[in-house]
Amino acid sequence: MQRGLISALLLSISGGLLGSILVLRRLSLMGDALSHSVLPGIAIAWLLCGPSPVALFIGALIAGLLTALGSAALSRLTKVKEDAAFGSLFIVFFGAGVALLSRLPVRINLENFLFGSILSVSPSDIKLSLSVSALTVVIFIIARRGILLETFDPSFHRATGGKGGFIHALLLILTVLNLVAGMQTMGVILSLGLFLLPAVTAYLWCETFLKLLLTACILALISSFAGILISYYTGIASGACIVLCLGTIFIISVIFSPKHGVLRKLIESINQHRSVNHSLD
Amino acid sequence: MSDAHNIIRFREVGVRYGAHTALKDLSLDIPCGSITAILGPNGAGKSTFLKACLGWLPLSHGEIRIGDKHLEHALPRLAYLPQRQTIDWDFPITVRRVVEQGRYPRLKPWQRFKASDHQAVNHALEELGITALAQRPISQLSAGQQQRVFLARALAQGADIFLLDEPFTGLDATATDELAHILRSWEVQGRTVLAAVHDFDLAKKAFGRGILLANKLIASGPILSVLTEANIDLAYKAPRLFEIDPLKHARSASFPS
Repeated sequence: MQRGLISALLLSISGGLLGSILVLRRLSLMGDALSHSVLPGIAIAWLLCGPSPVALFIGALIAGLLTALGSAALSRLTKVKEDAAFGSLFIVFFGAGVALLSRLPVRINLENFLFGSILSVSPSDIKLSLSVSALTVVIFIIARRGILLETFDPSFHRATGGKGGFIHALLLILTVLNLVAGMQTMGVILSLGLFLLPAVTAYLWCETFLKLLLTACILALISSFAGILISYYTGIASGACIVLCLGTIFIISVIFSPKHGVLRKLIESINQHRSVNHSLD
Repeated sequence: MSDAHNIIRFREVGVRYGAHTALKDLSLDIPCGSITAILGPNGAGKSTFLKACLGWLPLSHGEIRIGDKHLEHALPRLAYLPQRQTIDWDFPITVRRVVEQGRYPRLKPWQRFKASDHQAVNHALEELGITALAQRPISQLSAGQQQRVFLARALAQGADIFLLDEPFTGLDATATDELAHILRSWEVQGRTVLAAVHDFDLAKKAFGRGILLANKLIASGPILSVLTEANIDLAYKAPRLFEIDPLKHARSASFPS
């Protein structure tokens, strides 16, 4: 459980950073697609090399990149739009993954892939989380300006000699890396929640880029901590607990956020109605 | 006229997107320190013209020179302002941070902002009169203020050639006047501006020179000599509208006696 906690906390930091960018670049659904499409890579890696984390990691990375690059190529070469290409490819990959899993001599627990199992986090999994998290943070520090420019204004980035495609690919690779690293703790699909939910929540509160990144990381850390504790004492799956904690904060934010919340909108619209009534008197 | 005074030179430039010819056989000069409106109907190659200046498009023919150099060596001298609509104005960032982006190309990843960088940003904010807005999130700006933030970022870049993609689109009358005034003052300061523009009257009022395009060069030079009726007819009526019988509507109209 301690190992699971450490792993989740480590990935909270990188997940918060990466998620903020995905949300700002409107790539949230791409993250979702990637999380499904890594399955066949994991299955094939298992088939070839057994349950070695490094092999699974590389398999997942290759499958994820194939989906991303494949859909980019599809949308350029045919009239299929990129979202449709992504949607089609990832579901085909996921299907292939499920098919492969059912033919494997050793059964991989599909549930583990989807939902993770906190008790089976091994020391090597922690090393993986640590390196992925560290790599993400380092890349964010080094490429911070490029990432900001490419997210905010890609054509300006390009006009000043920036390499947009490179940054895009970098973010894609980091996303896959983080998803796979989160697999053991939270499951590949729920670990996406650790990216997106803190970022969307922070987006409702923050007016500057740096605050957004920091808030997202802090929210992710708090929820991971709370989620794993709850999971430990109630026996509910750890990934689900973390995501539900994040979900609770998200819903509270949607309602009460001072600038963009539903409550504020509601109050504003009531006030507007009143002023119309007054003017009629 | 010697070549030295022409900061941008197009020589027989052609740009193609697949089978579609966007620009054909374009030869023209842009004098240093002029502000030029790029005019023409939709799809006439206005954006293509700007993108070609930036070196984003492979030329199928000819060459473009900026200053004395080829495009690839001239990037820092060029500032590009994308259309306002392409930006997500809900992006969580303050005005100052956007203007600071103009300094990014000069900095290596490990370098921090130096005093000179901060100074350039302050100057740019001041020149465009948005110092008071510096700490505001960009989501709270009016259209005219948004445009000025972009201009400030271009200034902070320290560029001497400014490429503006439809800068007047979506601005109200006051903001349009303001922007026209800013561009005029830039001309006085010897900055070179190229802007894609839709509105002829605006072009005549705010720009000294014009380039009229219809996938090829119709006219280029002082704005009033470019926007003659003959040239406009040539750019806008050809070739599609020839099919429409101009008398058809007159015949079907009925006038009260």
